Amino acid sequence: MRFEEELVELLPRLRRFARGLAQSASDADDLCQAAIERALKSREQWQDGTRLDSWMYRITRNLWIDERRAAGRRGVHSPIDEAATQVAGDGAAEVEAGALRGDVDGAMARLPDEQREVVMLVLVEGYAYREAAEILEVPIGTVTSRLARGRETLMHLLGEAA
Amino acid sequence: MSFDPATVTAFIDGELDDLTARRIAREAESDPALAAEIARHRALKARLTAHFAPVAEEAVPERLRALLVDASVDTSLAGRREAKRARFSSIHWGAIAASLVLGLTLGLRPWLPAPDVTSANGTLVAAGSLARALDTQLASNQPADAAVRIGLSFRDKQGRTCRSFEGAAFSGIGCREDGRWALERALRGEGRRDYRQASSGALAADVAAMLAGDPFDAAAERAARDRGWSD
Repeated sequence: MRFEEELVELLPRLRRFARGLAQSASDADDLCQAAIERALKSREQWQDGTRLDSWMYRITRNLWIDERRAAGRRGVHSPIDEAATQVAGDGAAEVEAGALRGDVDGAMARLPDEQREVVMLVLVEGYAYREAAEILEVPIGTVTSRLARGRETLMHLLGEAA
Repeated sequence: MSFDPATVTAFIDGELDDLTARRIAREAESDPALAAEIARHRALKARLTAHFAPVAEEAVPERLRALLVDASVDTSLAGRREAKRARFSSIHWGAIAASLVLGLTLGLRPWLPAPDVTSANGTLVAAGSLARALDTQLASNQPADAAVRIGLSFRDKQGRTCRSFEGAAFSGIGCREDGRWALERALRGEGRRDYRQASSGALAADVAAMLAGDPFDAAAERAARDRGWSD
């Protein structure tokens, strides 16, 4: 199958992953667009016979991280990250947990980036720990510990019954 | 409960070997705490999956599909040769190019390809293929192999309609004046393969400084083009 055709087939899943990372639909599609453009330019780096989906997810995720870092340097502080640091179980977080019962987007937004990406890859996209570790270029132990923290926070925010 | 939390979640995620998975399933039958823990994690996973599933069911926006369906040039031998050549030239230009952020009031720009830029009443204006791209190309719907890529279209603080663009040779911002695109900013491109990284950040900062209100969305961009970029 042609490279482009495989990518087209991948797009629905890629958009889902990007939506989880970038949260807003338009930001997510901008991210997908940048990822596709990068993939087309870098296609020589993709080795035939290796998984195109993992390669695309890695490109998408790396572009998103670059964007987040650039936003940080421009002084655009995300309220999301600030909120995430407060989830450690103080009184405000308890109140917040009640308010977020039922709001998956709100709860995901409160996860630190590195937990949100692991939650998306493993729990939503269904990647094995090893595959997620390859996409993120981190050890498997890092994947499992981030995933555990992400799960804990999500359960807390969404309510015990999730 | 004789299984640690990591083992329980690994069970949910299908990461356990068959033997351990069978043990944990069997033990859950007689251990309500373990069964509840498994149910809790299953519920979270099911909830997340259900929440994001509709995104993958949506029709893929045309602007994304078009990048791939129309993209044939980049796969050609010529395209690869060009990419190689661009990488080679970036060795000479890379270090200086990234730092060359130029207001085009200075005059001589020997590297600007003549056909794309001309001078009118002392102002540098877009010509040739650049002018055509600025006139007609929509950011929301441009071919992946377009020589010039349109970035943002927006109204600047002087009330002009402006458009940022990125090309292999150079990138910049053109603003509509007297039926022409006056070049407000130009950055030397680094060659096709890498130009976006080199210029996008600086251009975005320039756009932000010039911007009045929000950049055009796809509908506003199309409407502005259909009005011929005038008010």
